[in-house]
Amino acid sequence: MEKGLTVRKIVIAGVLGAIAILLGVTRLGFIPVPTAAGNATILHIPAIIGGIMEGWGVGLIIGLIFGVSSFLNATVPLFKDPLVAILPRLFIGVVAYFTYVGLRQFNQYAAIGVAGFVGSMTNTILVLVMAVIRGYMPAGVAATVAVTSGIPEAIVSVIVTLAVVVAWKKIGSSGKQKSKISGDFK
Amino acid sequence: MSAEFELTRNITIGQYLPTGSVIHRLDPRYKVTAFVIMILAIAVCNTYLGNLFALAVCLVMFRLSHIPLHYGISGVKPAVPFIIILAIMQLLFYGEIARGGTIYFQYGFVTISSEVIRLVVVSAMRFVEVIFLSSVLTLSTSTTELTHGMERLLGPLEKVKFPVHAFALIITIAIRFVPTFAMEMEKMMKAQASRGADFGTGEWWRIVKRTKDMFPIIIPLFNVALSRAEDLILAMEARCYTPGAARTRYAHYRATPKDFAAVGICMILAIVMLIIPW
Amino acid sequence: MKQPILVTEHLSHVYMQGTPMEHRALDDVSIQIDRGECIAIIGHTGSGKSTLIQHFNGLMRPQSGSVIINGMNVSDPKLDVKALRRQVGLVFQNPEDQIFEKLVGDDVAYGPFKMGLPIEEVRRRVEWAMELVGLSFEEMKDRPTFALSGGQKRKVALAGVLSLQPKILVLDEPTAGLDPRSRNELLERIKRLNTEERLTVIFVSHNMEEVAHLADRVYVMANGRAVCEGTPRSIFSNQELLHTHHIGTPESVDILYRLRAEGYQVDPGAYSVDEAADQIAHLIGR
Repeated sequence: MEKGLTVRKIVIAGVLGAIAILLGVTRLGFIPVPTAAGNATILHIPAIIGGIMEGWGVGLIIGLIFGVSSFLNATVPLFKDPLVAILPRLFIGVVAYFTYVGLRQFNQYAAIGVAGFVGSMTNTILVLVMAVIRGYMPAGVAATVAVTSGIPEAIVSVIVTLAVVVAWKKIGSSGKQKSKISGDFK
Repeated sequence: MSAEFELTRNITIGQYLPTGSVIHRLDPRYKVTAFVIMILAIAVCNTYLGNLFALAVCLVMFRLSHIPLHYGISGVKPAVPFIIILAIMQLLFYGEIARGGTIYFQYGFVTISSEVIRLVVVSAMRFVEVIFLSSVLTLSTSTTELTHGMERLLGPLEKVKFPVHAFALIITIAIRFVPTFAMEMEKMMKAQASRGADFGTGEWWRIVKRTKDMFPIIIPLFNVALSRAEDLILAMEARCYTPGAARTRYAHYRATPKDFAAVGICMILAIVMLIIPW
Repeated sequence: MKQPILVTEHLSHVYMQGTPMEHRALDDVSIQIDRGECIAIIGHTGSGKSTLIQHFNGLMRPQSGSVIINGMNVSDPKLDVKALRRQVGLVFQNPEDQIFEKLVGDDVAYGPFKMGLPIEEVRRRVEWAMELVGLSFEEMKDRPTFALSGGQKRKVALAGVLSLQPKILVLDEPTAGLDPRSRNELLERIKRLNTEERLTVIFVSHNMEEVAHLADRVYVMANGRAVCEGTPRSIFSNQELLHTHHIGTPESVDILYRLRAEGYQVDPGAYSVDEAADQIAHLIGR
């Protein structure tokens, strides 16, 4: 699949990497929904989107940019450890890409959504596994966080990934969908 | 005062402030090396004196680079609430993890010992130091220099087919676009606020609704970014840019004794940081 | 019968105060705009126009001086900003960037929904706004937004602000980047909003033909100050002033000035294309 880095891949990776950095330095990257951390992060979503749109190489690089920027911005000792902050992030876009490729023959729309979900869970689970390995938290706590934090984050990820990729790939369902204000209310 | 929408001033990444100081004029390859050494030392250093020393080094760096200190401080400011929350969390929950030292206070699961206090103080200081150092690096080095520096450092990886140049270019593009997108985001927030948007209201358990509340910003942000990408791709292809092709460089770097000295000094500083007791 | 609807007094704003990048964007600006007027704000890039208009709907609060809009004081910390933003519709440059819904109707309905209006009212407003900008409600409401042309997107974005039913419409370079046809159409729509819907319209523009065509009055900004104010006719006949502030003139004005410099008897104040043509025809006929 991968034939080295084309201009397109380089530029898309750079631009989505910029968004990953930007979301990290502003509060916009954190959606206030209930998780163990108090909000769901969407910082890993550019990596997922990059993976789906341009392949695993792009997903990997955006993951790296996200990892390094989260390492540099970290306010928690957990993420001041490069093995926790950077290494797991490399897999987000890669896993998302292969999920998407595996499923797209059935249904584009579903493939993107599932890739969003799996990519996000990859982030949560690998970070927590590394956290346990590196002795930042006991396995029991990690498992709880995986559920309480991972699931809402994955849902958020599905919603955002779908919205962005569908709009960008112009997977139109024109004619089928009706605006909220269509129809009769009388 | 309306700081509500002004994001750009809080972001110091990728903003070059040319003052022509000694630090500005260092060879980027060596500057990046020296920076990496210092960061690693700070990451490992967990003594009070060592961190005080590191902080002093950071202040001297600001002085040497003629960069006003408030650039560094403005990078720290937005993180202050996080530092405080972290400190409280560490005080409450890290008693078990940071064992040892004198125990001052114990109640239920809360243990406050000298080791916990050290953890709290050191991680806060470390944080400030890393921000200061990275501000000095990014404010004293243009992004072009920065990526050239990184590219050269990664150069040996080319031997194992790692696309070093493409990688450096990706980083350049990423850093280059952060301020641009920050401005776009600011504009988007203003435009949507003008249409009556409010961000993050509604019941907290409604994940989907909360997420969709952010759509007016997030979706246009991605759209603008991707259409900028399309423009850039077109522009690069129009100029026959070929990834991986051998190319000459406008800037040639030649290391001077000053550069070696800078790396040497940073190594010594790093060692001092690590061997300082207490 | 003049009723001031928007008044600024000694308004100043400094960006990045206390840094080396400190920049005085607004400097003692006092302007007064009356209900129903159509006002152009001109000035070259960096003259403070954008900063000024962001004060009009409370995106920026006055650092010093005051802004009073329809009786609401923008400096008041207890001001209901949302109420103000419903009175003053602000359309940014390239507003099509802000479209985020998948369907046209949903995007236009975003503001009214946020106001908490019942769905019938939302629908009524969306229909009103879309028809005003020249988009057929029935035909366009279910169209996907990504399939629109540039001009259509701009109209959708404009409708998205109009659906708030503001009393004052503020536009930042409304026609920038549009093709001539879309541009002319949009200008006509804006003009009608002013004359038929009685909206007070304030627009920033670099296009002097546009200013000459639309505006009742013009404010000229330079270096953060409102240096001059008057009807387009009086402004454009003062070429010296425009020259010092790096502002162009409509082509017809240019031509008349050049003719006068050549010694012909023309009146550069009568610069509308028809008037100018008459004058030139008169010269040739003689």
